[in-house]
Amino acid sequence: MIEAKGLTKVYGDKTAVGGVSFTVQAGQVTGFLGPNGAGKSTTMRMIMGLDAPTAGAVTVNGVPFAHHSAPLREIGALLDAKAVHTSRSAYNHLLAMAATHSIPKKRVHEVIEMTGLGDVAKKKVKGFSLGMGQRLGIAAALLGDPQTIILDEPVNGLDPEGVVWVRNLVKFLASEGRTVFLSSHLMSEMAQTADHLIVIGRGRIIADAPIKEIITGKGQARTRVRTDQPEQLMGLLASDGVSVEVQDHELLEVKGITPRQIARAALDHHVMVYELTPLQASLEEAYMELTKDEVEYHSLITTGAPVPAQTGGK
Amino acid sequence: MSATTLDLRRSRVDVGPGPSFFRVLNSEFIKFRTLLSTLILLGSTVLVMVGFGALNAWGVGQFSEASRDDPEAAAAFAAQGADLTVRVPTSGLDFAQLIIGSLAVLLMSSEFTTGMARSTFAAVPKRTPAFVAKLLVVTVSAFVLTVAAALLTYVVAAPILDNYGFTIDLGTEHSLRMLLVSGLYVAAVAAIGMSLGTLLRNSAGGIMSLVGLFFVVPIAFQLIPGDFFVEARKYLPGNLFQTITAGTPADGALEIWQASLWLGAWVAVPLVLAMVLLKKRDV
Repeated sequence: MIEAKGLTKVYGDKTAVGGVSFTVQAGQVTGFLGPNGAGKSTTMRMIMGLDAPTAGAVTVNGVPFAHHSAPLREIGALLDAKAVHTSRSAYNHLLAMAATHSIPKKRVHEVIEMTGLGDVAKKKVKGFSLGMGQRLGIAAALLGDPQTIILDEPVNGLDPEGVVWVRNLVKFLASEGRTVFLSSHLMSEMAQTADHLIVIGRGRIIADAPIKEIITGKGQARTRVRTDQPEQLMGLLASDGVSVEVQDHELLEVKGITPRQIARAALDHHVMVYELTPLQASLEEAYMELTKDEVEYHSLITTGAPVPAQTGGK
Repeated sequence: MSATTLDLRRSRVDVGPGPSFFRVLNSEFIKFRTLLSTLILLGSTVLVMVGFGALNAWGVGQFSEASRDDPEAAAAFAAQGADLTVRVPTSGLDFAQLIIGSLAVLLMSSEFTTGMARSTFAAVPKRTPAFVAKLLVVTVSAFVLTVAAALLTYVVAAPILDNYGFTIDLGTEHSLRMLLVSGLYVAAVAAIGMSLGTLLRNSAGGIMSLVGLFFVVPIAFQLIPGDFFVEARKYLPGNLFQTITAGTPADGALEIWQASLWLGAWVAVPLVLAMVLLKKRDV
C-alpha cells in the first residue's frame, strides 16, 4: 500500500506536484493517468525516495521508502527505462543490483527469462531498443520479488505483443495480492489494465475512483435508438432527467434512461424500434472531460477526427 | 484499520537481506569490473607507467654515459644519481594520476549522466554507503594498480639500468616510501576525482576541473610572479607529494607530516562536501 499525504514538489517557481493525497491499495492495479508534465514521474520519484518532497510525505506499507531494511524486496520500480549504465550488459546490471540485497544469481536468471531478455542479456544495453530497455527495467523492478511494484510508462516503446504481456503481468501481480501502481498517458491502455484510477493534471489529483465509476460518472450512459416513429417515441420518453437528441431521420440518442425502459415504453405503445444500442462512454471521453482544463501543453493544431486508440509508443 | 496493521507487520518482518555495507561493496565491485572502458583505462595506466619507466631508465643511462667524459656533468650526476634511479619505477606517475583521476570522475558522473544513479540509490536509499563503497573500490584499485605498475616497471627498468652499471634497491627506506606514497597519492587523486564527479555530475566538467587542479594551476602559480604564489605553490597537491617523497627536504619546505596533513585536507574537504550534497540533492 502506498499512501501520499499532501505530497508537494516545487522546482523554483514551478509547482510540479501540488499537495496530492492518495492511497494505492494492494490487490489491484491502480492506474496513474495524466497528460505529459502532469507530475506523474515526479510523484513516483518521490515515492522511491529519489526526490525529496518540498512538503508532505509518502509511505510504502506505512514506512518511508528509505527506512525499509531491504528496499528492493519491498518495492520494485521502473522509473526510467534507461536507468542503466548503457556500456554494461543487462545481466551484469541486474547482477550488480541483486548483489546489494544478496539476491541469488538464480533469481537474476529468472527475471531475465520472465521478461524475455534471454537472447540479449549478455549484450551491452547501449544496443537495446526502447522496448528491450523497458523489459530490462521491469526485470530490475521484479528482482527482489517485491510486494509493491511501481511502473512509470511501462508500455512505452513496447510492441503490441509486449503491451499485452505487460497487461497480463500487472494483472497477475495484482491477483497475487501485490500493490501495483502504473502510470501512463495512454487512456486505452489504462481502460484495459487498471482497476482503479488516479487522474492527475497540473500537479493536482482530478479524480481518484474505480475505473468503472470514472467512465460512467462523467460521460453519462447513452442509448442509440432507431425507430419508424421518432416523434411518438420522443413523446413517450419525455420526463425529468431524460434527454433525447435527434441525430438523424429515425435516429435518436437517449440519455438518462436504460435501454430496457425504452423497449418497455415502445412495446407498450406499439412503436416499432429496430435498433437499441447501449453506448458506453469511453475512458478517453471521460479523461478528456476531466483534464480539458489541466493539460499543460495544448496542441495548436487539432484535427476533427478523434485520436485512434493507441496500443504502444508515443 | 486492521488491514494497515497487517501490511505494516509484513513489511517489518524479515523480508530478506537488505543492503548491508559488504553487499553494497560487492555490488560496486561488480559495477567496477563489468565496464570495458574501466578495464581499458586501468590497462593503459600500467602500459604508460611501464613505458615511461623504461624510457626514463634509458635516459638516466644515456645521461651517465654522456657525463663520463665531462667531469663537471659527472660530478652533477653523482650528486643526484641515487635520487634519479629511485624515481625510475614511478616516473610515469603524472600520467597515471591523470588517467586514474579521470576514471574516478567518470565512475561517479556516469551514474548521473546515464541514469544509473536512480537504480543505485533506489537499491541503497541511504546513499552514503553506496558512495563509500564506490570510494573504497576506486581508491584501493588505484593504490594496488599504482604499486603493481611501479613494481612491474622496476622489473622492466632494472635490466636497462644494469646495462649502464646502475642498480635500484627497492629495499631502501626512500624506495619504499616512494612506492607506498605514490600508491597513496594516486588513491588520493582518485578520491578527489570521485568527489568532483559527485559534485558536478558532469563528466567533461569533472575531468576539466581535475586537470585544472593538477596541471594548470601549478603551472599558472609558477608563472605568476609574487611571493604569495611561491608560498601557495607549496600547498598544491602535486607539490605536497614532491615534499613527502623528497630524498632530502628542500630549503623552506614543509615537514613531511605537515605536507601529509595538507594532502589529507585536499581529500577530506571535497569528500565531505560530496557526501553531504549527495544525500541532500534529488537524483
